[in-house]
Amino acid sequence: MVNLGLWVLIWPLLGFIILGLLGRVLTRGGILRVAWGACGLSFLFALFNFLSMLGVAPAARSSDVTVYNWIVSSTLQVNFGLLYDPLTAIMLLVVTGVGLLIHIYSAGYMEGDPSFWRFFAYLNFFIFSMVLLVVANNFLFLLMGWGLVGLASFLLIGFWYQRSAPVAAAQKAFVVNVIGDLGLMLAIFLLFINYGSLNYQDVFSDVHKVAAGSATATAIALLLFVACAAKSAQLPLYMWLPDAMEGPTPVSALIHAATMVTAGVYLVARAHLLFANAPVALYVVAGIGGATALFAATIALFQLDIKRVLAYSTISQLGYMFMAEGVGNYTSGIFHLTTHAYFKALLFLGAGAIIHALAGEQDMRKMGGLRQRLPITFWTFLIATLAISGLPPFSGFWSKDSILGAALQEAVVTGNRWFYVLWGVGILTAGLTAFYMFRLFFGVFLGNYRGATVVPARRTEEEEDEDEQEESAGHGHGGPVGYYDIHEVPAVMSMPLVILAILSVIGGFLGFVWNPLNGFLSPVLEASETPLNIDLISTAVSVAVALVGILVAWRLYRKGFVYKENNNLLYQLVFHKYYVDEMCNMILIKPILGIGRLIGTGFIEGSVLDSGSRGLARVFREISVLLRRLQTGYMRNYALVILLGAVLIVIYYAVRG
Amino acid sequence: MAVTSSVPLVWYLIVSAVMFAIGALGVLMRRNPLVIFMSIELMLNAVNLSFVAFSRFLDTADGQMFVFLVLTVAAAEVVVGLALIVSIFRTRRDIDVDDMNMLRG
Repeated sequence: MVNLGLWVLIWPLLGFIILGLLGRVLTRGGILRVAWGACGLSFLFALFNFLSMLGVAPAARSSDVTVYNWIVSSTLQVNFGLLYDPLTAIMLLVVTGVGLLIHIYSAGYMEGDPSFWRFFAYLNFFIFSMVLLVVANNFLFLLMGWGLVGLASFLLIGFWYQRSAPVAAAQKAFVVNVIGDLGLMLAIFLLFINYGSLNYQDVFSDVHKVAAGSATATAIALLLFVACAAKSAQLPLYMWLPDAMEGPTPVSALIHAATMVTAGVYLVARAHLLFANAPVALYVVAGIGGATALFAATIALFQLDIKRVLAYSTISQLGYMFMAEGVGNYTSGIFHLTTHAYFKALLFLGAGAIIHALAGEQDMRKMGGLRQRLPITFWTFLIATLAISGLPPFSGFWSKDSILGAALQEAVVTGNRWFYVLWGVGILTAGLTAFYMFRLFFGVFLGNYRGATVVPARRTEEEEDEDEQEESAGHGHGGPVGYYDIHEVPAVMSMPLVILAILSVIGGFLGFVWNPLNGFLSPVLEASETPLNIDLISTAVSVAVALVGILVAWRLYRKGFVYKENNNLLYQLVFHKYYVDEMCNMILIKPILGIGRLIGTGFIEGSVLDSGSRGLARVFREISVLLRRLQTGYMRNYALVILLGAVLIVIYYAVRG
Repeated sequence: MAVTSSVPLVWYLIVSAVMFAIGALGVLMRRNPLVIFMSIELMLNAVNLSFVAFSRFLDTADGQMFVFLVLTVAAAEVVVGLALIVSIFRTRRDIDVDDMNMLRG
């Protein structure tokens, strides 16, 4: 089997360099040719490698080549190597494939943006970083990719840096991600101390060097999971993802839904032997995954911004993936990662099409009745909504139900009632998901268009300031768009929607009955089959719950989305996202700022540092006042001193003899 | 002693010391840089005199070689010094060393 990892890696890097250096002078067509070409070649190589992998026996489907010896220092040896196995192949296909579609879509969405070239340079840079993260064969280069995707995310969230909100969101994302990077780094230190190597192969083949269940094994797995939780927006490090929606919508689709945020899921799957070595850590993964799934789904229930709903939904779906990995069914996690990449990218791109058509409007209160105006978007969005709600035969059904089945199976096998709770949480979340997704869907596409009639809600001065700045960057508000002025998006944007819709329908057959994905991944992740009867029970319950969710949404919102002020305490709590941001402000940010102010203006800066440095300066000044008296400026004084010195020297030697 | 001479070494040294003292006092007391230069030359030649005297009495050529060295350096020094004096005179129309105290602390 060939290993084309380097070829997949090199094209986006080249594209980034070319666009970064020459983007300013290239024409629009030239920029697209470079960006699409780089990503397309990358996808072709990934596809070719995948096909060549299918041609060899499952046992031989792994290739680990060293490209370059980077550091060789006695026991420390770090190589840049490429590991290409079925897990890598799946991830690369998702990253480059969805990445290519979003590159194409962006040409339409970012049309007319003054920084067109910068956007595509960043996108290529992201693809490069993500591929590096996936093909690395050791933890150090994983960390490098891990950090670089964080950087790409920072750059793209803050793409419209002329406004203040994207800048703040970018900083928030970066800070939270660095917490995760720190966890990953500490885990790597522990791995090196205990295994003496950072290569996946060396570590995983010798995983029992650290006793199973020991404190060290648990610490390694938990630190890795800190990194995963930060990157994949799990409790309690999820706050950055909703804010990241300030970036352009294609970025939200590519980075904050389909690929980068799934890096945590990938890492847990990649290091599953380390997690299997630490059962406590696996419980944590399952618990956090379940808690996040439910928590984020409840917040998504009453949000008004179309992209925020999708962001919380992403967090919730990532929770599902971790839930699957926590019960030891890694294949289901990767399966859901793949199908989620299709339908969630589709949802975001559909939302982008709506936002584009409405000249930047993201508030669902000002949408509605778009079915007739945006037919392609309507149908593709419907498919994605059905898929995420888990209705057969769409892809989300197969992957979500394999996760829920795995949770129930674990509960039955271990008899641990907490796993029953986990399964229950998963089922409940499935119902909530169906409800809030159809609330969004009905609200946007059915009923009457509300864009031109709605009176602006109370606005603070700050928001108005922001709107003024907004004129200069981003999809500025051109005021409400008249209903008959709304037009379907151009083909360059609708084509990716259609392709993703097709994938969202057929993607589920990867895990259909005989489960080809399970077999394909089995050399890396041990195949785990859920018995058919358990699977059927779980599936029946979850589909029933999802249907209930859809029915409720239909009863409430089929006439379109009506916003009512609601002073119910519980509603207010959920509507304000449990006041988490406010609490963060109170507990973390305010005290830190306060301490900073105290140091900056109060005692330490004033009394200690200021007086200290002033005192030192005064000492030197006093000494120099004394010394300058020596400099009379009369040449003969100097001559006299020289003479006296010479005489002294002579006397010294005369006396000494 | 290889060389017999009517004048003993000490006399030479006394003359040399007197010349040196006159030169040093001249440097310290005069205000005209040209005179100061001449005084410096006097000090140098006082040293030269003692070099030559020692050379003669110790019957070696070392002292005489030093004298040539000193003469060369003195010539070079005078060149630089006179150039300085000329350029100072051009800018200030005055070369009294006591007025040149701009670097006073």
